Amino acid sequence: MDLFAQLLVNGLGNGSRYALLGLGFGLIFGTTRIVHFAYGPIYAVAAYAAWLAASAAGLPLAISAAIGVAGAALAGAAVYGLAYRPFEARGMSSHSVLILSLALSIVLDSLLTLAFTPSVQTIPEFTAPIFILGPVYVTALQLGQIAAVVAVAAILTLFLRRTRYGQAILALGDNRDMARIVGIDTDRISLVVFAIGSAVSAIAAVFTLLNEGATPTMGFNPVFIAFVVAVVGGLGSIPGAIAGGYLVGLVESLGLWKIPTEWQNSIAFVLLFLVMLVRPQGLFSGLKR
Amino acid sequence: MDLVLHIGVMICLYAILATSFNLLIGFSGLFAFGHATFYAVGAYATALLTLRLGWPFPLPLIASIVLTGAIGLAIALPSLRVSGIYLIITTLALQVIAIDVMLNWTGLTGGASGISGVPPLTILGHAFGGPARFLPIAALAAALCFAVAYHVGNSPFGRALRAMRENESAAASVGKNIFYLKVGVFGLSAALASVAGSLFAHYLSYVGADSFQVSETVLILSMVVVGGTGNLLGSVLGAAILVLLPAGLAFIDLPQGMAGQLRLLIYGLVLILFLVFRPEGLLREPKRGGKKAPHRNMPDGAPPAMGAIVPLAAREGSALSAVGLNKRFGGIVAISSLDVDLASGRITGLVGPNGAGKTTAFNLLTGFLVADGGEIRFRGKLLTRLRPHELVRAGIARSFQDLRLFTRMSVLENVLVALPRQSGDRLSALFLRPFAVRREDAANTARAMAILAFIGLGDRAMDLAEDLSYAEEKLLVVARLIATDAEVLLLDEPLSGLDGAAMQKIIDLLRQLAARNRAICIIEHNLEAIRNACDHLVYLDEGKALAEGEPGALMRDPELMRRYFK
Repeated sequence: MDLFAQLLVNGLGNGSRYALLGLGFGLIFGTTRIVHFAYGPIYAVAAYAAWLAASAAGLPLAISAAIGVAGAALAGAAVYGLAYRPFEARGMSSHSVLILSLALSIVLDSLLTLAFTPSVQTIPEFTAPIFILGPVYVTALQLGQIAAVVAVAAILTLFLRRTRYGQAILALGDNRDMARIVGIDTDRISLVVFAIGSAVSAIAAVFTLLNEGATPTMGFNPVFIAFVVAVVGGLGSIPGAIAGGYLVGLVESLGLWKIPTEWQNSIAFVLLFLVMLVRPQGLFSGLKR
Repeated sequence: MDLVLHIGVMICLYAILATSFNLLIGFSGLFAFGHATFYAVGAYATALLTLRLGWPFPLPLIASIVLTGAIGLAIALPSLRVSGIYLIITTLALQVIAIDVMLNWTGLTGGASGISGVPPLTILGHAFGGPARFLPIAALAAALCFAVAYHVGNSPFGRALRAMRENESAAASVGKNIFYLKVGVFGLSAALASVAGSLFAHYLSYVGADSFQVSETVLILSMVVVGGTGNLLGSVLGAAILVLLPAGLAFIDLPQGMAGQLRLLIYGLVLILFLVFRPEGLLREPKRGGKKAPHRNMPDGAPPAMGAIVPLAAREGSALSAVGLNKRFGGIVAISSLDVDLASGRITGLVGPNGAGKTTAFNLLTGFLVADGGEIRFRGKLLTRLRPHELVRAGIARSFQDLRLFTRMSVLENVLVALPRQSGDRLSALFLRPFAVRREDAANTARAMAILAFIGLGDRAMDLAEDLSYAEEKLLVVARLIATDAEVLLLDEPLSGLDGAAMQKIIDLLRQLAARNRAICIIEHNLEAIRNACDHLVYLDEGKALAEGEPGALMRDPELMRRYFK
């Protein structure tokens, strides 16, 4: 039972990170319909930017984290503005844009490896406080992740519902052509969406940096997790992404109760596969965003 | 020297992988990203069967092909439910699971250390170890696999695949079984990829998970894109280029691990350069449709309309009758208790304001939507639950308001693919009776040319459908419909957007079809055209048939006209 409780807590912690990944990815895909594989390397860019700020420049943790988030937002906007948008403007098929995003993610991965070597980079002086609640250990990072999900979800919801930009983003996600007809600058809105989506994923990246450190390929699994979460939750729904994130986190963590650790990776993918076969529109697609 | 021969072997293996992947991506438009998994299954199966069970050649190869083909069929299942990005992600997920299995099912796969000591390929006591001896074997296998892919790609089956790529619903509307096409091409593509895997296991005598990572699938994809999607020769070329390009790195002294990273970087950059500067790849998709066939097979002096329209015997009564059709979308009633009666030799017009449910009625009659209630009979036979391609084969075909031509196929192929009962649509016939299939296809090509000549597009036969004018596209839609040989033809706005002369031409064609005992139903808005074309009208409003009868009488009804123009 103690093990179960501990796995539950771990699942909630990881699930929070997954929810953030799904929120960012779902926002980008739901609005622009671009399958953004380069989401992975940009996630890694965020971690490295924060790591450089903290260890090389010696900045405080909060500022380093902010630099990581800003770096990812810039990188995400750059990928859209310099790669995807010109492609779409030339009338290339969505398959070509998809292959481009794959190619970009390979190139960025390789460049990160060449720049930072494949070894793990950590912030040595950082250790997260640990709280002991009866039989269960809870780290400050896990609590921070949960708080981050709450904050991001609240801000995103307010932003989408209450601001002109948010309304434009929702309109674009609903119907791109119609949005253009009513005078929405779809290119600029897409750029903003790429920046916001990348920034949301960067929060998860900073937590990963603090938890495990940064590696050049650290974004490989998160792209899939993000996709699994967004699809499981129903693309483009904030409550869906959060529910999907915690579902994947909990299933993956509680699965360890019965399944050996080395199979943990596969659990999320098996879940995705089953959802695709049974309910391709997502488990929570009824929820409004 | 050995290095050169080794590169030669690798080009052969990748040529097999790239051509088989091209069948999926280039021909079928199915973006399934698990090709390295098929490669891996072939390699592991051969390694295990040779090493553990001591099976002699060619048993491990055959077992690998069968096993991988079966896995390909299983992977086709999600592709039947999902498409586009969902298919990509699902298949990528399967590949990650496969890698986990290779790494973690240590008892079977040797885990991270893989399986080493696979014996070299031995045929009749003769061992083909080392690059020099293996290269001829690899080249032979590559040639055979290429021949199979080429044979299938240029067959009626391959044509149907490309039609499905261009537009799935249109392919179903000309009688193609989408389920069979997808499952078939997945199985075939997987089976071919496993040949490369089987050779790989013998050649390197080692099989490990690191050879079948996701990056491997990306590499094969790059070869297909660089060579040109839809062009099999291009895939061989792409394989050669992308194997040779980073081979130069072997001569540069690089730190450990650096070479692999640089190779990936090169693949990514090449891919981006091609997407930007030459997205169609080095070799374009060839124009198919039998360049010589039309002339060779056209009987001399035959009138152009010969055989264009298969004559049907005049039959009394209604050809297609639907009774009490109902369809709701959520809370909205789209069709309610609709009766339709289509008699052969008659042109029925389905008219009514926008949103009246005309296209929904077509979708119900042709199996694209399943009715909530009511029944549909064709010559008295109940066929309420049949799928679109089955209904076409039964004798009910339809066209689409938005045309849905197979745009990147030739005009001739657009018609050819729609001809009924093609034995070359089945993979088994392609391999068991290749010559019969070829003869049949030559005859079909002549028939398709006759239809095009009849319709007035004979001189455009070898142009791509996307290069036609709008009026020509509308004609091609009719030609494609005629080619199905269906008795009941449902045309969704065949006259819209045409000028007087073009409109009259299509009306004349419809008249000729009716005269040859077809039951025709058209959706149309232009009252003048309706008066001109139709023998019988059904007035549809809010999903119900409000009135039915002779066009002149209905048009004199002030109430209907008021509703129509409101």
